[in-house]
Amino acid sequence: MAQSATGEKPVRDVGALKRLMTRPELAAVAGSILVFAFFAVVAGDSGFLTTGGTASYLEVAAQLGIVAVPVALLMIAGEFDLSVGSMVGAAGMIIAITTTEYGFPLLVGVLLAFVVAAAVGFFNGYLVIKTGLPSFIVTLGMLFALRGLTIGFARLLTGRTQIGLSDAVSGNPLTSLFAGSIGDFSVTIVWWLLLAVLGTYVLQRTVFGNWIFGSGGDANAARNVGVPVSRVKITLFMCTALSAALLATIQVLDAGSADVLRGTLLELQAIAAAVIGGVLLTGGYGSVVGAVFGALIFGMVQQGIFFTGVSTDWFQVFVGVMLLIAVVFNNIIRKRAAEAR
Amino acid sequence: MANDAPLMEARGLSKYFGHVVALEDISMDVRAGQVTCLLGDNGAGKSTLIKIFSGVHQPTKGAMALDGEEVLFNSPRDAIDRGIATVFQDLAMIPLMGISRNFFIGREPTTGVGPFKRFDVKKADRITREELDKIGISLRDTAQPVSTLSGGERQSVAIARAVYFGANILILDEPTSALGVKQSAMVLRYINRTRQQGIGVVFITHNVHHAHLIGDRYTVLSHGHSLGSYGKGEVSMTELEKLMAGGKELEKLEDELQGSTAAGSEESANGRG
Amino acid sequence: MTTNRGLSRRDFLKAGGVGIAGATLFGVAGCGGEEQGGGQGGGPEGLTSRGNIRIVMVTHGSAADPFWSVVKTGADQAASDMGVDFEYRAPERFDVVEIQRNMDAAIASEPNGIAMTIVDPDALGDSAREAVDKGIPLVVLNTGQPVWEKVGAITYVGQTEYNAGLEAGKRMAEEGVQNALCVNQEQGNVALEERCSGFTEGLGGNVRELAVQGADPTAAENAIKTALNNDPDLDGMLTLGPQGALPALQALNSSDNEEIMFATFDLAPEILNAVRDGKILFAIDQQQFLQGYLPVDFLTTYAQYGVSPVNEVATGPKFVTQQEAGDVIELTKQGVR
Repeated sequence: MAQSATGEKPVRDVGALKRLMTRPELAAVAGSILVFAFFAVVAGDSGFLTTGGTASYLEVAAQLGIVAVPVALLMIAGEFDLSVGSMVGAAGMIIAITTTEYGFPLLVGVLLAFVVAAAVGFFNGYLVIKTGLPSFIVTLGMLFALRGLTIGFARLLTGRTQIGLSDAVSGNPLTSLFAGSIGDFSVTIVWWLLLAVLGTYVLQRTVFGNWIFGSGGDANAARNVGVPVSRVKITLFMCTALSAALLATIQVLDAGSADVLRGTLLELQAIAAAVIGGVLLTGGYGSVVGAVFGALIFGMVQQGIFFTGVSTDWFQVFVGVMLLIAVVFNNIIRKRAAEAR
Repeated sequence: MANDAPLMEARGLSKYFGHVVALEDISMDVRAGQVTCLLGDNGAGKSTLIKIFSGVHQPTKGAMALDGEEVLFNSPRDAIDRGIATVFQDLAMIPLMGISRNFFIGREPTTGVGPFKRFDVKKADRITREELDKIGISLRDTAQPVSTLSGGERQSVAIARAVYFGANILILDEPTSALGVKQSAMVLRYINRTRQQGIGVVFITHNVHHAHLIGDRYTVLSHGHSLGSYGKGEVSMTELEKLMAGGKELEKLEDELQGSTAAGSEESANGRG
Repeated sequence: MTTNRGLSRRDFLKAGGVGIAGATLFGVAGCGGEEQGGGQGGGPEGLTSRGNIRIVMVTHGSAADPFWSVVKTGADQAASDMGVDFEYRAPERFDVVEIQRNMDAAIASEPNGIAMTIVDPDALGDSAREAVDKGIPLVVLNTGQPVWEKVGAITYVGQTEYNAGLEAGKRMAEEGVQNALCVNQEQGNVALEERCSGFTEGLGGNVRELAVQGADPTAAENAIKTALNNDPDLDGMLTLGPQGALPALQALNSSDNEEIMFATFDLAPEILNAVRDGKILFAIDQQQFLQGYLPVDFLTTYAQYGVSPVNEVATGPKFVTQQEAGDVIELTKQGVR
């Protein structure tokens, strides 16, 4: 091999197969195929493979996926948002209360929910940057505070914790926008795919996306070369909160009711979907496509279990096992790929 | 080729942190096409000095000058804008990120306008490949994570990046301290080439051998004070060592040790080299 | 040639092994189920044999809830008696979104019949109609009496809430009650609201509604106690379920107002003890065992022979007074009442 001017052997080129094997999405895609195959074999004739069955697990996947995309981006930037679940509950109640208690049009309620979400997201980000505390802790506090505020205000203003607003919802054009269907398939899936495409584009093809990787990989180093790390993180916290508001809108318009406990555990599921998708807990590495497949796995399992006749309690066991397998798999692949000569 | 006016000067720089005297009255200069070595033991004040050079700190007393004109840097961005590139020990390289992404982070080339403005990945890859070729690192995949490069390669990429983005003064903070012999050789060769391109290099180290190999001028710091600046011919490696280790204190230690061994056998007296 | 220490076969085997282990684990878990039955049952085969029949029940009450566990027991019993496959689906926590998802999956699995509760006429009404449109026979149970015909169900099995409240009101009026408290422990549940409305009309007197949090017994007890103490005119109280009745019992023990006539909806061991001891005037049994048993029965015979009741089947109100309490207590212990 030719000697270089600096006297070192040139860096070995990376074979195409190896490059494929080091992609973060690998475990999630492989996992999706395995899970699909499993349910197709075990429950194929019980309805898993019918249009209705497919539509039902895609809808569950889409609802989780809408939040999993920005959560994945934020995790790649090195931070966690544990408050998204509570934000879903809060946003839903904001829509319901402004509409039923104060008589505002549905559009106003929805817009207000988004504005509040943006404010909460900004607050989360600002608090994390200013205090320098781990975002895990800061957003954990927000998880409780936001849920408590939601329950408290709901009881204070309406005396109830579940509010129906079917009058406002039925026939409203917003309802078909957020909760309509295309054939058997829910419009939520379209929202999910739009967010996924947007998220991937931003991450892989924009300057902001490079900043996301940098902020997560080494925030100090990134700052030293002029990346506005604080701005990146605050923006992403606002995105996770806004996605929670979007999900809340979809759920409220679909079910015609809001519930203070909606979104419970969503943050952990979103993180699990992102991790299955190849996002590193320590940040700086991952992909949106992976999180999309992670959410798909969740959807297939949550609804797929129904078709096997097994009690839905086992769903959580499967999630845990799947998570562990995906992380171990990802680790093995990544170690081999990233090691120096 | 050296110019007449120094590219950069430190004129009587002092820096106090409360009651702690980090630097006291430091003067030195950096010339184009020359490597100035900044030597000193741990705690001598080298880090503080280069942080002033790179705009992280501001001096308490004294000033810096560029091309003879006094300047004050309020932030690292100011220093970068004036052509001073600093490669800190962490290299500002993000291990998990690809090489070309690292090369251009913070200064990404873009294509398209308005909402369609995007990171020109193709251009970034092409330029990274070219620049690395120039220093003898040939890649087929610029998206490889930086962690696949060896320590010496990583240093070289960091330096190549600084040079590409128009540095005329390069400050290198202990570039060879964590490297083995072969890797250090690679880096030193590269520094030599950047010198030949007319860049002024400040090379911080506590390794006297490396300093002696590459340096044109030497400034030694001890406990925040300057023990003098010397040209290449003016001082030997041993003298540099002594200066760095504390001069008189080392002589005293030598006497002590010689005294105690002389009380023993004659062989140890012969064995001293 | 420099050796390439990249991905080796060993790594793939390692990763694959982990994957297979996990899949096996899940496969094992997947080999248990809730299926019963399989092809006995007497009588002519009709349109389809019993062995081929599968019924799914989708409700808003988790089987961990003592009330709903009786429903599930009834349904399981019917499935076993009829020799058909049966599945019970309910979320752990009351949320319409979860119930909708269960309905989506149930419909996609193309059973021979679905039995469901309709707690939210808008969201779940749509799901119900979807099932009917796809040709799946539907029976509504427990909640949804006002809408079962609209959604195209075959019949309704349960208690007509308004009517039950009405009868309860009449009975209390007979005992001389004129001012009563109606305690609602689950806001937003239309069925409970119906009970209070019926009660108000049946009593003919003054009825005040009190909302409490069923999930928090201590808070509920305090709220009831305060209400009792603040209004000395109160001479009657109706609670709408065990989550309201039990705190109410506690509140009565420690409140000043001794003259309250207390009645409640639904049974539970402590409630029946209190009835037997004369502390509670009567308890209203909606006989939820039948709400589980009958839908499975009806859906099976409909699938086989196309027969069904032409009207709703009322399983309540059945009044349990001091006389019957003893027997009923025994049956409650067995989980059938």
